[in-house]
Amino acid sequence: MSYAYLFKYIIIGDTGVGKSCLLLQFTDKRFQPVHDLTIGVEFGARLVSIDTKPIKLQIWDTAGQEAFRSITRSYYRGAAGALLVYDITRRDTFNHLTTWLEDARQHSNSNMVIMLIGNKSDLETKREVKKEEGEAFAREHGLVFMETSAKTSDNVEEAFINTAKEIYEKIQEGVFDINNEANGIKIGPQHSTGNSSIPGGNNRSSGNGCC
Amino acid sequence: MEYFKSGLKSVLGTPVVDDQPSGADIVERLVERVQHSTLLADRRDACRALKALSRKYRIEVGAKGMDALCQVLEQDRADAEIASYALETLKLIMNNEIYDEEEIPDITAKDSNKLGERFTEIFIKKQENVGLVLDYLEEFDFHVRWPALQLLLLLLTNKAKDVQEIILVSPMGVSKLIDMLSDSREVIRNNSVLLLTLLTKSNANIQKILAFENAFDRLFDVILEEGNADGGIVVQDCLNFMLTLLRNNISTQNFFKEGNFISRILPLLQLPANDEWPIQRINNVHAVLQIIRTLVSPTNPAQATSSCQQAMHTSGILKAMCDLLVANGVPRNPLTEAISTVAELVRGHNDNQSYLEAVKSNGIPSKDVLVLLLWSMLNDKQPFEMRCAVLYCFQCYLYRNDFGKMKIIQKLLPLEKEVTETCASHLLCQGLFSKESLSSWFAAVALSYALIDNPDGKEKLLNVKLASNDPNPPTLLQQIVSSIQTTDKAQFKIGHLMFLSTWFSHCSLAVESFLKINNGIPYFITQANRLENEEIEEIVNGLSTFVMGICLAFNPETVENFKKDSLRHLITKRIGVETFMDKLNDVSRNESYTRASKHPQPTAQNPQSLLLDYEFCKLFKMLEGMIMRALNTLPGQDDGEKLVSNQKEIDELKATVDELKTELTEKTNRIEELCRLANDSRDDTDRMKTELFRLQENHIALMHAYQLKENELESYRRLLAMHGIWNENPDQQQQQHQHHPQESPMFGGGEFTPHHLQQQQEPTTVTTGEEKVYQPMLNEHERNELIRNDLNV
Ligand SMILES: Nc1nc2c(ncn2[C@@H]2O[C@H](COP(=O)(O)OP(=O)(O)OP(=O)(O)O)[C@@H](O)[C@H]2O)c(=O)[nH]1
Ligand SMILES: [Mg+2]
Repeated sequence: MSYAYLFKYIIIGDTGVGKSCLLLQFTDKRFQPVHDLTIGVEFGARLVSIDTKPIKLQIWDTAGQEAFRSITRSYYRGAAGALLVYDITRRDTFNHLTTWLEDARQHSNSNMVIMLIGNKSDLETKREVKKEEGEAFAREHGLVFMETSAKTSDNVEEAFINTAKEIYEKIQEGVFDINNEANGIKIGPQHSTGNSSIPGGNNRSSGNGCC
Repeated sequence: MEYFKSGLKSVLGTPVVDDQPSGADIVERLVERVQHSTLLADRRDACRALKALSRKYRIEVGAKGMDALCQVLEQDRADAEIASYALETLKLIMNNEIYDEEEIPDITAKDSNKLGERFTEIFIKKQENVGLVLDYLEEFDFHVRWPALQLLLLLLTNKAKDVQEIILVSPMGVSKLIDMLSDSREVIRNNSVLLLTLLTKSNANIQKILAFENAFDRLFDVILEEGNADGGIVVQDCLNFMLTLLRNNISTQNFFKEGNFISRILPLLQLPANDEWPIQRINNVHAVLQIIRTLVSPTNPAQATSSCQQAMHTSGILKAMCDLLVANGVPRNPLTEAISTVAELVRGHNDNQSYLEAVKSNGIPSKDVLVLLLWSMLNDKQPFEMRCAVLYCFQCYLYRNDFGKMKIIQKLLPLEKEVTETCASHLLCQGLFSKESLSSWFAAVALSYALIDNPDGKEKLLNVKLASNDPNPPTLLQQIVSSIQTTDKAQFKIGHLMFLSTWFSHCSLAVESFLKINNGIPYFITQANRLENEEIEEIVNGLSTFVMGICLAFNPETVENFKKDSLRHLITKRIGVETFMDKLNDVSRNESYTRASKHPQPTAQNPQSLLLDYEFCKLFKMLEGMIMRALNTLPGQDDGEKLVSNQKEIDELKATVDELKTELTEKTNRIEELCRLANDSRDDTDRMKTELFRLQENHIALMHAYQLKENELESYRRLLAMHGIWNENPDQQQQQHQHHPQESPMFGGGEFTPHHLQQQQEPTTVTTGEEKVYQPMLNEHERNELIRNDLNV
């Protein structure tokens, strides 16, 4: 249950690109073959370990549909990381990246780490966007890039963890003001000054599953 | 001020008595100044004056001044003073209370209390107006932030849904509001809690955004700062706000659990022992318990509830709650709520159930808390709500708790001879036959929970005998059946009938024991046949019917006179199928059935109307159809037999179906083949037809060509004849052949026959060296043959 840091993530991108599936694969190690349209925002969490430190990822999966845009924008401001997802089998989702990026940059804090994800890499035969194009876009806009498959779980783990690593490094470099919660970073209970009586090594059995 | 009043009257149609300016005029002039004066100071003064008039002339100020005030908000942001006047004025005109000094024209008098709402509607029609108010909330100056906060509170009070939607879509609207929770000025912080509660109510999207914006963290900070459960009303407000964030929202609940906020509840439950309970503490604790119950509610998805139950155990909440149950001096209401909370903390969760089971009271000797609770349940001096809560707690303790269920039954068995300590089982067993009908009802329902999904327990319970001086004491079953017959208390009967239904369902052995009891079934038939006016008696009859139905559906076929067929016959003859069904429907139509089916927690307005139980209603719904089927089965077709014969029939049909399937496949193949053939031959026919057509065309063309050649030949012949080279004979032949195409039927005419023959037999005799000469000698058929050879067809 205890953690050194908590990072808030958001997942954004067009509807149907596989945002919810990526989250589900990451938190529950499952794949959902039908499109369960996200209404507004959904939430998931998992504990990972970076540099031997337990880090809690608090992930907010937003709805890609245009109708929810004004709601989902409320989540940009307080996020430390964002996964910007497109679908490699649908070029239009790649074409919309610029709009997404502008939106994110406008509403988020400037240090937010953005990871570009080309999802559905298992559908090689239906590919419409070359890997090189994704790489080029990422390079041009200063993003980290990765192709994933929420279906086979290929690179899913890495996508979330690499984002966390990036954030962690920024913290080490002192880029993030970790005491400002609006940055999407929270210091774990026993790491903050004061109110903790049991330092570290919390061996209470942790409920179940993912954290 | 008198002239204002008269002035307004003139506006409203009362005869004008003097020509002093009316209130409306004055308001109009002020509005004019607010809108058009170029000097800020002037506008500010006008605004202040408007504010002063807005109680008395609310309608005028609202109707004429709204736009001007919004314009001030828009354009005079830099000046805190005028902004605060504008905000306050808007607040005054949208307020719902009627001011003492307010001038209310008669026309609007009847819904003058809706004026505030009307003006709110007008104000928010322009969504930007709400955005303006939000902007002012960011202003730190108290004179601005405070009226802006109050105005927004008012907007939300008057038009919650619309304002929520507007704030939701205005950029960062929700996020701005949360920042006010950190305002060091208490009045702002406290009111922003209320504001956020209104904003959040039944809007899942806003609830999630606030969770994202760390609302829980901040609320717990405030609660801690204010002294937890012993803090003031702010603590209660914070807890209610938290409840609003969590209620009916699985996402925020999940977030709450994942964020380990459950453990932050604990300090709120750690209360000094033997302490007084001031009213504020009662309210605070009540709110905490609502939060806990929301997280472990039986209506949540099972997985969510059980992981929260687990977390409650791990974080010490369960322990703290159980401590509360045995603590001294806890007032009745929080204690009742605490019992219900513990109920839901353990419901269906085996670890938590065993935890509860082991909790002991503080006194010496210490007793099991469950026993103590049941004691209060069976005590008619205890408040009704609390007794209900205990029943709920016990039900939840046994829910899906096989071990606990068996423990209860085991303790009743004769083997367990000398039990010195009172145990739950004995309490309940005694309670069954209590003089107070509510007690017996509680005991019956409680005990029935030990039998749900417990086939073994149902059979074991048949061996239970009641302790008495009688050398041959009655069994529990006999005692229940006889007490149903001897009592005249409906609630008592209902409790016991529900108990029997649960016991008999899916247990032929229990049905057998029942059928063997003298005067069992006959009494039930009489009961079912009674005509009753009272609803409560309808339920008694319906349940008696139901028990009979169960005896039919789970008939053991071992008791003479009450085998399935006889029982069915008896019911059909003595009650009638229609009446039987009506009686059952009386139960499910009853209001207490609807109420009981809604939620596992037993509730009723008063002790007399507590009649049906949640699990029983589930059983009733499940068995109703089965009973009707058992009743409508043809005589001689017992379920068992019927099943076997059905199975046989099904097997036969299956075989037939398989045969038919193979046959069908064959037929289908054959048909396909035939179709293919038909298609092929159709193709052939078509091909032949085109061929024929082509040939006919060719034929005509050749005939034509032949004619041309013939004509040519003829001209040569004439030429030759002219020169005397051609003899008569060929000439004659020529004539003949000229007609030939048209006159072929005449071909065999006597005159020419020899010639013809001769030509045929010795074609070479007529030797001109030219083939062309022969050709005309051939008949049509032969010619066609020739043509065909030419064409190679
Ligand atoms: N083959 C394949 N299908 C995927 C993959 N990821 C998602 N899908 C499918 O794509 C569809 C949409 O996935 P979601 O995760 O629901 O899409 P979303 O981005 O959350 O969509 P919104 O909630 O509307 O914004 C579903 O039918 C998924 O099964 C993947 O990696 N490979
Ligand atoms: Mg989704």
